[in-house]
Amino acid sequence: MRFAGLALATLLAFAGGQAHAQTVSYAQAAGLLAQHCGGDIMKHCRGLNLGNNAIHNCLVQNAAQLTPACAANHASIREMTEARAAAQRAAHQACDRDRAQYCPGLVPGDGNIVSCLQEASKVVSATCTSALVNAGYTQQ
Amino acid sequence: MTDFRFAKASLRAALLLAGVAAVPVLLDARPAAAQAFTPNSEIIQGLQSAVDNVPQVSAEALRGLAQAHMKYTGPPESRPPLAIQLDQLAQINVEIEFDLNSAMIKPASYRTLGSIADAMHNPVLLGYKFLVVGNTDATGTREYNMKLSQERSDAVVEALSTTFRVDPRRLQSVGVGEEALQDVRNPDAAINRRVQIFNVGSAGALSEQ
Repeated sequence: MRFAGLALATLLAFAGGQAHAQTVSYAQAAGLLAQHCGGDIMKHCRGLNLGNNAIHNCLVQNAAQLTPACAANHASIREMTEARAAAQRAAHQACDRDRAQYCPGLVPGDGNIVSCLQEASKVVSATCTSALVNAGYTQQ
Repeated sequence: MTDFRFAKASLRAALLLAGVAAVPVLLDARPAAAQAFTPNSEIIQGLQSAVDNVPQVSAEALRGLAQAHMKYTGPPESRPPLAIQLDQLAQINVEIEFDLNSAMIKPASYRTLGSIADAMHNPVLLGYKFLVVGNTDATGTREYNMKLSQERSDAVVEALSTTFRVDPRRLQSVGVGEEALQDVRNPDAAINRRVQIFNVGSAGALSEQ
């Protein structure tokens, strides 16, 4: 089951025009959740929302009642979202040195940092470049 | 009020366009041509930091205006528009489907929500704050519509800020019920059931949370 989900993630990573990214977009992950679990959510989690883990918790609590497709994939789909979120958090650390060097006017937390690093893409480190790709900030 | 659908659009493209529309404001201190500033206010505008050229719109102000608007008891067509200059903001209308009389976002709209989040994480928009505004049509009572639209815009903001990690300090949620109908001549039309997202200017530097 887990393997099926991971295989799906790998397939998506290579099919989505993001040949080198190891993560998928929030839209792709959310679309997959609706595709595999939409019916289950309307049946077992009616009235609940995506935010604050409500849908995730509901699917876990109703594991025994889920359709095979939802049961097999919902955990790995959630991992895709978490992987993208982790990559976005990690990008700030991975690029901190480059920020200090190439974007001296910007402080951590400034939303313009990624744009600045993109403009300086020819000189930023490989570590930062790949972190930006995994975060979905730049396409490669 | 049934299912809160609206105009189809390439969301990502639209949001990015909204961001692009905001970029010249950053580079160019002149007020937008559509704004009728007196020369004095133009000078003041020019001296303010550039993003202050975006009309100041707070969630509180919009909510207050929507509440005050409920005093106009005539048919929708006879009510004056909300006295707030939202039109000058970079904005999009989003198609999000909710369960009947509920703030539950239907799974069919999950991908749309994810797309909004992706756009808000896009470098072009990362530095901005957004106002998420929920609207209903005129079916049902105005009080009920006001409450439901607030719950729905809250649900959108909650999903964006928790599941999709958009910094909550960049998001504000306002429900305006049926007080800002898109089509006042057809108050029950689907076009009125919409979520609007407005770019309300620079977020500034946000400390790590």
